Amino acid sequence: MTDAMIRIEGLGHRFGGTPILHDINATVGHGVLCAVAGANGCGKTTLLRCICGLLHPTEGRVSIAGRSVEEYSARELAQTVSFVRQHHATDVDFSAFEIVQMGRNPYQSRLQNESQADWDIVEQCMKQTGTWHLRFARPGRLSGGELQRVMIARALAQQTPIMLLDEPTSSLDIAHQFEVMELLRRIVAEEHKSVVIVMHDLNLILQYCDEVMLLHQGSILYHGGVDEGLSPERVAEVYGIEAMRHSVEGRPHLFFSKLSR
Amino acid sequence: MKHNTNPLGAHRRNRWLFPVAVVLLVVAMAGCSLAGYVHFSWREMWHSPIFWNLRLPRIVLSVLVGSTLSVCGAAYQSIFRNPLTDPYVLGVSSGASLGAAVAILLGWQAYRWGIGGMALLTALLTVWAIYRIASLGNRLHVTTLLLTGVCFTFLMTAVISFLMVLHQDKMDSIIFWTMGSFASASWSDVLILLPVAVVGMAVVLYHSRSLNLLLVGSEVAQSLGVEVERVKRSLLFFTTLMVAFAVSGCGVIGFVGLTVPHCVRLLVGSDNRRVVPCSLVVGGFFMLLCDTLARTLLQPSELPVGSLTALIGAPLFIYLLYKNKRSY
Repeated sequence: MTDAMIRIEGLGHRFGGTPILHDINATVGHGVLCAVAGANGCGKTTLLRCICGLLHPTEGRVSIAGRSVEEYSARELAQTVSFVRQHHATDVDFSAFEIVQMGRNPYQSRLQNESQADWDIVEQCMKQTGTWHLRFARPGRLSGGELQRVMIARALAQQTPIMLLDEPTSSLDIAHQFEVMELLRRIVAEEHKSVVIVMHDLNLILQYCDEVMLLHQGSILYHGGVDEGLSPERVAEVYGIEAMRHSVEGRPHLFFSKLSR
Repeated sequence: MKHNTNPLGAHRRNRWLFPVAVVLLVVAMAGCSLAGYVHFSWREMWHSPIFWNLRLPRIVLSVLVGSTLSVCGAAYQSIFRNPLTDPYVLGVSSGASLGAAVAILLGWQAYRWGIGGMALLTALLTVWAIYRIASLGNRLHVTTLLLTGVCFTFLMTAVISFLMVLHQDKMDSIIFWTMGSFASASWSDVLILLPVAVVGMAVVLYHSRSLNLLLVGSEVAQSLGVEVERVKRSLLFFTTLMVAFAVSGCGVIGFVGLTVPHCVRLLVGSDNRRVVPCSLVVGGFFMLLCDTLARTLLQPSELPVGSLTALIGAPLFIYLLYKNKRSY
């Protein structure tokens, strides 16, 4: 049993009077790649935002490495949790290099400039994500996938034990989707990070993730291993889609046929 | 092979700007000391009461106000993520103008701090009211803040118009004040603005990297370790204070705070660690140049410095925009 890096206890959140999440209890351990899946509007992004302290949950609490998120200063939290959003500002006049360099901010005092060590880390993270050749480009000139990889590079430059990613593969072509997932898999294996990733592609989850958290109408329907979790019955319950599971090259694979509702 | 410099080093634009602007500012301050209705040589200058009591405080005040407005403009544009924001967007100038108008109507010109003091008081009151409206608990709602500022500006302008129609004999004085002028600059004006400006600029410089992150977005800044609400509040507090003191000392001088940061950005890029110090120096230099022209072009009469800043600044800004467009 691994130590819990992220512990969510009785978490609930409302926007105005509308409940988004209720009674979420979960733990994510060291070196785990955990997917969060569920239908649109079921609270996946809200959950991620509660974990990284951008939202204060209306009920319950989130602990990171044994301490409540509320107890962290912004800087400490940024050294512990990195967050890749789904949408990014493209109207800024910074180069991709400067954007990735911003990931070093939590480690610098206010008047301190970037050091050689920071630049080395930025270079390494950009090479890891295949974006080094884009370092002089402005976000407005990058494709959706390139920008997404630059943002993943920035999260890597934060060197945090926990990474949260909100649909990082949604704007990528198939090859880059696989590349990003391979990269995350490698990071989890080599650096023992805990990675929580919101995604819709259940087959990518089956192939790459250790755990899946299935959200349904604001609460957890299932949290555990992917093989047991992504059964055709659960897929039908969460998405209202008829699915079949077959083995392809020794790996389970889901095939979707039609709406079941 | 490992690089041993910033990988963007070769691409850092126009590194000459800051040192050149500093040299230009110093040269311009010296040169502008000699320009004016009363002529004197370098040697005579040191013994001239006109230089010490009239010209030098005016030069120092114009540089100080130019720097203040430019630094505040640069900060506002990053905080609000809006290129159209200028230091007056939060209603400081309209508040100050109303106070000045009331002071003029009450005949307080006779008192040393009559107009300036009243302008400062109403500027601060206006901003306080705007902040109260835009604050929700601990959070400051930026869009509400901007919209409230714009509404207050319209409201105050309307009140000033009414006052002017009702007291047409004082209309000239009110209009002249709102156009801005350094004609009555004295050492006491400098001494009042100086500490506020120095502290305020230090605060903006201190937060200049956080401003970069705010430019990318508040949430991104927060997840990269910036205490967003605290930084925003401290920046808005000090910049508003600076603008209120600047405006109450010399009236509403437009254009500088809006365009100097943009011109600087077009030359050096968006990194506020370069934009803020460069705006500080370039803003001071530009205002000094405009004020010197304002007092010398048609001497002994004076041109309104606010219209000169736009007359010189607008074509320059358009040229830079055009040139920048072509370089893409």
